[in-house]
Amino acid sequence: MIAIRGTLELSRAYLLKTIRSPSALIWTLLFPQVWLILFALIFRNLPGGMSARMPGLFTITAFSGAFFGVAYSLVTEREQGILRRIRVTPATATMVVIGNAVRSLVTVAASLFMQGFIARLALDVDFGPAVWRVAVVLTFGVWAFVPLGLIMGSAAKDMRSAPAIGNLIFFPMVFMSGAALPLQMLPGWLQGFGRMLPTTYLVQALEGVMVRGEGLSQQGLPLAVMLTSGFIAFGLNSLLFRWESTQPLGAKRIGTALAGLMLLYVIVVLVT
Amino acid sequence: MSIRTQSLTKTYGTTEALHGVDLDIEPGGIIGLLGPNGAGKTTLVEVLEGLRTPTSGEVSVMGFDPTREGIALRQHIGAQLQATHIPDDLTPFEVLRLFASFYERSVPVEDVLERVNLKGKARELARNLSGGQKQRLGIGMALIHDPALLIFDEPTAGLDPAARRQLHEIILNLKERGRTILFTTHYIEEAEKLCDRVVILNRGQVVADGTPLELVRSSEGQSTIFIDVDGPFDPAPLLAVGAEQQEGRGSHYRFTASDSTAVIVALGEVLRTQPVTLTDMNMRRPTLEDFYLEMVDDPEAAELDSERESGATSREPAASAAEMCKEER
Repeated sequence: MIAIRGTLELSRAYLLKTIRSPSALIWTLLFPQVWLILFALIFRNLPGGMSARMPGLFTITAFSGAFFGVAYSLVTEREQGILRRIRVTPATATMVVIGNAVRSLVTVAASLFMQGFIARLALDVDFGPAVWRVAVVLTFGVWAFVPLGLIMGSAAKDMRSAPAIGNLIFFPMVFMSGAALPLQMLPGWLQGFGRMLPTTYLVQALEGVMVRGEGLSQQGLPLAVMLTSGFIAFGLNSLLFRWESTQPLGAKRIGTALAGLMLLYVIVVLVT
Repeated sequence: MSIRTQSLTKTYGTTEALHGVDLDIEPGGIIGLLGPNGAGKTTLVEVLEGLRTPTSGEVSVMGFDPTREGIALRQHIGAQLQATHIPDDLTPFEVLRLFASFYERSVPVEDVLERVNLKGKARELARNLSGGQKQRLGIGMALIHDPALLIFDEPTAGLDPAARRQLHEIILNLKERGRTILFTTHYIEEAEKLCDRVVILNRGQVVADGTPLELVRSSEGQSTIFIDVDGPFDPAPLLAVGAEQQEGRGSHYRFTASDSTAVIVALGEVLRTQPVTLTDMNMRRPTLEDFYLEMVDDPEAAELDSERESGATSREPAASAAEMCKEER
């Protein structure tokens, strides 16, 4: 009971903090619209138009929001000693992690909704035969991305190192997954690498339901990969979570976490 | 017993922050933990809160082992850390509501706001509060579940006298309500004023433990006696009972003595036998500060310790900041 109440209150507090932070609002709600404009300028006149590029744009928005949002929040709170203060209460790391995850889900959902709404109205983007399928696929994507942000938030020592580590992960996730550029533009070996990234599977599933008009049952593999990836990453997060930046992670923990995550994608690549 | 430690040690690499600390604290009252920077005060407090794992020895807080039963223990203690650590984008009301949700039982947020004199600031963002108001909110966060034991780490550090006095009143009020308060401080006069018991740590060891009066009485410091006389004055009887004359100009004299009572008796004898009149007299007894300075390292050594500590968070030895948390996972 305390765990549920505490987690809900933490989620509420995190959301209030986001709403009251102008920079967070700009990053969460405004910045994705800048991407939308850029994509429209670049891809509008290409075959398929914006409708063909919307799965990639949604993936970028979902990934950047879920990944950076949750990671930066965790690092900042650790740096400010807020996590340390929470640690001297009966609250657990799981409560903090889920509280952060819920906040991230809500804010990413808001930014995706806003982006989709503008794209539909201003750019006449086609979301396929059922918008709800798009929402379901995006939920799977955010589920896979949030724990990656949590892992990054635990791995980064402070806000000086967080953007560097974050970008190291962000750019391959975006450029090698077919989100920013069509996957066909990449050399074969790079496409193979792309199959080891969770963003690739969100692009695939979104293309399925939005561009090809397929049902959810035809997205079995990408949805399963994202679901499993999310579970594994949440589990790994319990290995890496730290209340204070002075708590060393240890090479063994980091190695176990990375190996666990890589294993899933290596299996997927081998199976497919 | 609220707190019991036996042969408690805590080492960070090669640095021994706590060395065989034995402490028994009964319920009720205010206990002050004094010591220079690097003495181990914060380490001790963090071990009691379950934030650090002792290297050896036994610890029991409210009947719980802080290392193994940390979450259960924290239902019964309220802690205020060295820095305030308050989410700036939330109001005091929201912060207290959040912290109340972590406990099995809690008192109404409004009651806590009233107790820490923040009712008028309940809806203001924490970032707009003054230092004293933030400290009081920090205390409020520790009181939200009405715990029997409160542990405050330097609650009045950096506050102006008025803000400090407000916090003193809150702490005294808690004592009146039967709570046990353990707090660390660098202000000796604060400890003398508030504490029923003072524990002095030096280099990780308890070097003194008692009521402020007991500690002052056991001081090896000397009383200073100021005398103004009218007429020819021979201080020989005073010197004979151990007084040392420090000054003697005209009618003004200053003596120091370990046994001030014997000097006063001798002075009475002088006034009876010599043709002098006492026009004024003052005496300054040793204070808790005198005793404290006798018990801890000299300031230069303390300064070195301070520099060593200041490189790490929570004032632990900087050289071992990474080591100190290895076992906290």
